[in-house]
Amino acid sequence: MSRTIAIVEDDPDQRENYREALKSHGYDVHLYRNRPEALRAFSHRLPDLVILDIMLENEMDGGFDLCRELRAMSSDLPIIFLTARNSDIDRVSGLRLDAWDYLTKPVNLEFLVVRVNSLFRIADTLHAPDDESEKLTIGPLELNQSTMSVRWNGLPVNLTLTEFWLVEALARRPGHVKTYDALMQVTRQSYVEKNTINGYVRRIRNKFKQVDPSFNMIQTVFGIGYRWQGE
Amino acid sequence: MRWPFTVHRPRRLTLRAKFLLLVLAIGTLPWMGTRYVNEMKRFLLQGQEDALMLMARAVGTVLNDREELFRPDTGVPELIGGRYDLYAHQLPNYLQLDGDEIDWGGQLDNLRYFTGSFGEECTVRYQPWSLSVRHTLGYRGQFLYALFMVDDENVLYRANDLRRLDHSDQIRLTIQNPPSQINRYLLLTRKSGRMSVYLMDEDWRYPITGDPVSEINAVMKETAYGYNVEIRLPRFMVRSSSRVGFEIIDVDNAETRVIADTITTYPRAENLQLSRVMIHSPELAKILGGLDRQVARIWIVDDQQRVRAVVGSLGGSIFGETGGGLLTRLYRPFDSFFNWLLQLPESEFVDVETTATHRSDVIIDEALRGNAQSRRRMSMDNRAEILAAATPIWSGNGVIGAVVVEQSSAEVLKLQRVALKSVAAVTLVAFLLITVALFVFATRLTLRIRKLHQATEQSITPEGRVRREYIEAFPRGGGDEISDLSRSITGMLGRLSQYTKYLEAMPDTLAHEFNNPLNVVSSSLEILARDSREAAQSKYMERAQKGIRRLRAILTSLTEAANLEEALQYEDREQFDLVELVEGCTEGYQTSFPGHTFRLVKPSQPLYISGAPDRLAQLLDKLVDNAVDFGDRSDEIFIEVSYDNAYALLSVSNRGSTLPRDMKERLFDPMVSVGTKDATQTHLGLGLFIARLIAEYHQGEITAENLHDPDGVCVRVRLPLAYRLEIAA
Repeated sequence: MSRTIAIVEDDPDQRENYREALKSHGYDVHLYRNRPEALRAFSHRLPDLVILDIMLENEMDGGFDLCRELRAMSSDLPIIFLTARNSDIDRVSGLRLDAWDYLTKPVNLEFLVVRVNSLFRIADTLHAPDDESEKLTIGPLELNQSTMSVRWNGLPVNLTLTEFWLVEALARRPGHVKTYDALMQVTRQSYVEKNTINGYVRRIRNKFKQVDPSFNMIQTVFGIGYRWQGE
Repeated sequence: MRWPFTVHRPRRLTLRAKFLLLVLAIGTLPWMGTRYVNEMKRFLLQGQEDALMLMARAVGTVLNDREELFRPDTGVPELIGGRYDLYAHQLPNYLQLDGDEIDWGGQLDNLRYFTGSFGEECTVRYQPWSLSVRHTLGYRGQFLYALFMVDDENVLYRANDLRRLDHSDQIRLTIQNPPSQINRYLLLTRKSGRMSVYLMDEDWRYPITGDPVSEINAVMKETAYGYNVEIRLPRFMVRSSSRVGFEIIDVDNAETRVIADTITTYPRAENLQLSRVMIHSPELAKILGGLDRQVARIWIVDDQQRVRAVVGSLGGSIFGETGGGLLTRLYRPFDSFFNWLLQLPESEFVDVETTATHRSDVIIDEALRGNAQSRRRMSMDNRAEILAAATPIWSGNGVIGAVVVEQSSAEVLKLQRVALKSVAAVTLVAFLLITVALFVFATRLTLRIRKLHQATEQSITPEGRVRREYIEAFPRGGGDEISDLSRSITGMLGRLSQYTKYLEAMPDTLAHEFNNPLNVVSSSLEILARDSREAAQSKYMERAQKGIRRLRAILTSLTEAANLEEALQYEDREQFDLVELVEGCTEGYQTSFPGHTFRLVKPSQPLYISGAPDRLAQLLDKLVDNAVDFGDRSDEIFIEVSYDNAYALLSVSNRGSTLPRDMKERLFDPMVSVGTKDATQTHLGLGLFIARLIAEYHQGEITAENLHDPDGVCVRVRLPLAYRLEIAA
């Protein structure tokens, strides 16, 4: 049985394009125009993954509201925000609602499919016992590539998919500088610039600092990129 | 000059100055008051004249058809007044000639005192010397009485053996009848009792006839201090124009019998002029007595313009202002001012004496012709104005006399003065109050307007951004036009602020709105490329993708500024080395812009700055982007880091065209661009605005200037160091 993906997007052209892209990869895609319509459907049956726009028809924060309502129904449902709103405030709000990722338009469909695949893989392994072979340990950092989860000094650090990819890219080669260009590739988004990377790194640092206030492993190489501190 | 509020114009009259000018206009009030008071004076004088005329008419009416009062044989003139005249008062009853003063009754209150030589009149508290006299006159019926109470320690009677009569205490009576008939009567006696009276020669030595004068009776009586003499003489002996004098002769030494002392009733010792005897005519005295006041003088003249009677005085002392009331006390400080303002009416002046026997005046002439008239004239010494009214006294068909009523205008002047003082004081107080009130009002108004002006100016930044939406009305909740104005400015600012917010939100909204269709286009292209190999390889597909990227870049930069302002509020500050940052970035630029050469000049020591390194790198990016875009292609870009003791200085210079003069200030405002050379490059004019926002976030400032020889532009950023360099070094 194929997995179901619900897309809540008020623009018909965009949601049709998303459906085509995802359908071709074998997913069962349901489209909803607005929050009440989606909510009605979800109350019958929850999809396996949800892609939300934030502005839904006349509701400015319809996506956020819907996410909150979904979280009430299921705590581990993968939710991705896919929106034209790219301010830091919106990003923070979205991720605070335990969304798994926050993407901004225009989105590269290929990358979208990659993400969806990854998220399903994470979701699948979420309840399975840890697969030691997928674990990568660099000093106190512990990366689980199957669950895409991160531990620092044994404590879990709650990162989004994009953030996990960035940490992975940096930590794999400690001491080596990852340039902005390289990091942009890692985010698997269509249009990323230096500031977006800076923003990601800033949020990553903050999340690590929540578990370890003295965290300073990610170093800025001004004008060039970032580096995971070597031994 | 800052747009749009500070516009300098030549100073004009301030509101306060205008108000003060207005206050000066109130200064016409005292002038109006003076006009009013003068008008009042005119009316008062007119009224006074009318009153005088009425009075004259009243008196005249009473005297009409009373010819007997004007007949020459009615007797003596009824003259009252004159300091040296002897007053004869009507006695209550006929007197018994016995030398006893008791029967004079109340008349003793009118005693006049004489002492020393030549009749020096003295006060009641005289000290009896060897000789002093108390004296009074009275009349009853056809008789005139005189009483002398002589204090004399040694009463010497007439000696029997001496023929000359001037060797004893005696009284000499002189009656002068016009024009030159003078009768001298000597009164003396050998013992207490009836006195002998003789008509004497000029030297008072020998009697002209040996016979005693029988018309005059006198009695002498010795008293404890001396003696009393009572004299009775018929009134016909003292006629209308008669003058009378008494002399009291004192002889003390019985051996030598030399006259020791003399007391006379003569008005003036030096000229020995005789006094007149004044007797009230019972009728006229009755008629005029009631009019004898201090405010007006009434003359009765007969048809020959001879004065028949006069009562009262001209009156009019202006110093009679009494009372210690509040107003009076209030005026007192202004007195000298008023004295200067209003001529003080003369209180003392010389006019026709009441002793005049003849009056001639235009109005008297007219009155005697039968016409009542009034006029104003000056007093004889021209120091006071006198109002006079005259009416004829009729009898049958003819005029038998005239009544003249006179009054000094001082009374009116006094009234005028009081009124003017009151007007002036009230005006002055009102003037002061109004001035103070207006001044306070004007100051407050000016203050309010100035406050409003300042608040308005401060509410908008020089760039035109609304800094404050609320202009506080002063005072709060005031209901006048200025409060309305501040409210409408508040409203205006609110709307302006809304509009500004709308404009500021516009790029963000636009970007957001564009992103959705852009997403449609890009995702559609992607699906097209996937489905059709031919389409995927088409050069048009490539161009479309490139177009999408450019669109995307535009949209990103549109939202960048708005996002930055928001994000800076949440930015964590940290300390970092600016030199290291610039060094790293420059290295990056060399890779990003291979066509340009980057030259870096930096100090050997680190410069620590407190802030957001990412943002500062962003700032540098913007400056370098700008330098690359506007500089000559493939020319070097010069980046310099330096410091003075409290600031780090960062500058990025490029060669190329200079900035237009008027652009330098506005260069760092949003959406300001000096144009671009490359059509494929996007310039929304947000880059330097973002640089400014970041510099300001670091409490720094950013400026641009033109370079010359070779031409170029240098943008400088001045940032405060985290700590002073002496410590850092």
